[in-house]
Amino acid sequence: MRVLIIDPDSARATLVAEGLAGVAPLEVRQAAIFDEAEAAAFAPDVVVVAAESPDRDVIESLRETGVGELRPVVMFVDRSEPGRAEEAVRAGVAAYVVNGLAPARVRSVLEVAMSRFRLMRQLRDDLDKARSDLASRRTIERAKALLMKERGLEEEAAYRLLRKLSMDSGRPLAAIAADFLAFAGLLKGDGA
Amino acid sequence: MTGKAEFRLGFVPLNDAAALIVARDKGYFASEGLSVELSREASWATVRDKVAVGALDGAHMLAPLALAMALGAGCEATAMIAPFALNFGGAAVTVSTRLAAAIGAEGGAEGLARLIARRRDQESSPLTFGVVFPYSTHNYLLRDWMARGGIEPDRDVRLTVTPPPRSADLLSEGVIEGFCAGEPWSQVAVRAGVGCIAMRSARFAPDAPDKVFASTQVWAEAHGDELNALLRALLRASAWSENPANRAELVAILARPENVGVDGEAIEAGLGDIRFHRDGANRPDVAQALWIVQQMARWGQVKIDPETTRTALGVYRPDLFDQAIKATAA
Repeated sequence: MRVLIIDPDSARATLVAEGLAGVAPLEVRQAAIFDEAEAAAFAPDVVVVAAESPDRDVIESLRETGVGELRPVVMFVDRSEPGRAEEAVRAGVAAYVVNGLAPARVRSVLEVAMSRFRLMRQLRDDLDKARSDLASRRTIERAKALLMKERGLEEEAAYRLLRKLSMDSGRPLAAIAADFLAFAGLLKGDGA
Repeated sequence: MTGKAEFRLGFVPLNDAAALIVARDKGYFASEGLSVELSREASWATVRDKVAVGALDGAHMLAPLALAMALGAGCEATAMIAPFALNFGGAAVTVSTRLAAAIGAEGGAEGLARLIARRRDQESSPLTFGVVFPYSTHNYLLRDWMARGGIEPDRDVRLTVTPPPRSADLLSEGVIEGFCAGEPWSQVAVRAGVGCIAMRSARFAPDAPDKVFASTQVWAEAHGDELNALLRALLRASAWSENPANRAELVAILARPENVGVDGEAIEAGLGDIRFHRDGANRPDVAQALWIVQQMARWGQVKIDPETTRTALGVYRPDLFDQAIKATAA
């Protein structure tokens, strides 16, 4: 079975391709953009497309022009297994089978693609969170340093002050620290 | 407030998504008590699938796509409603500067027809044109424009689907010689020096329906009050978008990367001939649905029979629009 993966996110496409390597016998090719001539040369049995790729509309239209018969997977999984199509759509995966390949054979491909898409989203979310945690920590450190300098507080006391403001206002510590830094800038006149 | 969005609405980065974007950014959804999150989508196929499975509550949608969904054309049939028309005009046919030079400044579709006849005599390959989606006003208008110039689209040219954000590059690479899409994508091609506008929908077919707000009928029936509130917010946002006094702010809002994400000058140039609200634009007249189903039949996408016509016309819901407006007055 030949699988063509169209995904502008090449890191994720690689992740999907690696996952599919376990589903033998399989030949996998990945591309950022759908090219009709390249696709025709490869002659895939299944095309997996990232929902965020604008090429979905191009592939959709091929059913109309009759260049190979492409059927979206959502059309048949829906009948046999309610909820499956929704799961794929939510995971951001669209898939098309070419020339009437048996739907059952596509299932494992779709499963792998969906799980890898979810994994990538999780990894990216974790990374974003780590980045924002780091930025928050830096803001708090800077606010603490400013309090120590301007009010002659010990580090521990500066932290307790920020902490108290955070608890009193019910806002995150980093937000209080950011406000404090912005306010200090205004007082000095460099924010005006 | 938990901060979690109550409703998720989809849009495709185009000037005619303004009502949804403005309703969020100017707080019109919020003032109707709605918490709405917008989801920027890269393709109409994904908008369709997400709306069909309920991953989106509703969306900015090509009016013909809402009808195609209801008819099961190109997808599983899903009962749909279109209770709000978002715009008229604001689309254009753009041809490559090469092609414009070959057919002459005032050549139009007749000039293109003469060029195609010459190329046929020389046994050159057919010219390729892109549209945004098979079920789109853009597909029908490009075909009609060509047909009026004496071109038979299915015989004389090659029509493909091209993602609008990529159209300028495809023109300059010579992959396509022209495309029909909503703004700002024609202006992006013009400003990049690779395309010239050959037809504007506002001139060519000022009454051709373009985008609607659509949702599934199941969703609408389960959320009657919220739908009314959504439509009122969209109506206020459409009126605001139409007002020339707000133009600079509208351009700034649309230009932001999370919205249309194209530079302000191209956005502004593309807003020139779009009708968001004036002359009763937002009430979805069933005559518009009839026009769409006739176009679908003309180009072989559906066969007209009483059942098809009834289903297609039933998508347009002026009654729901009227009901939402009446609830305002109450």
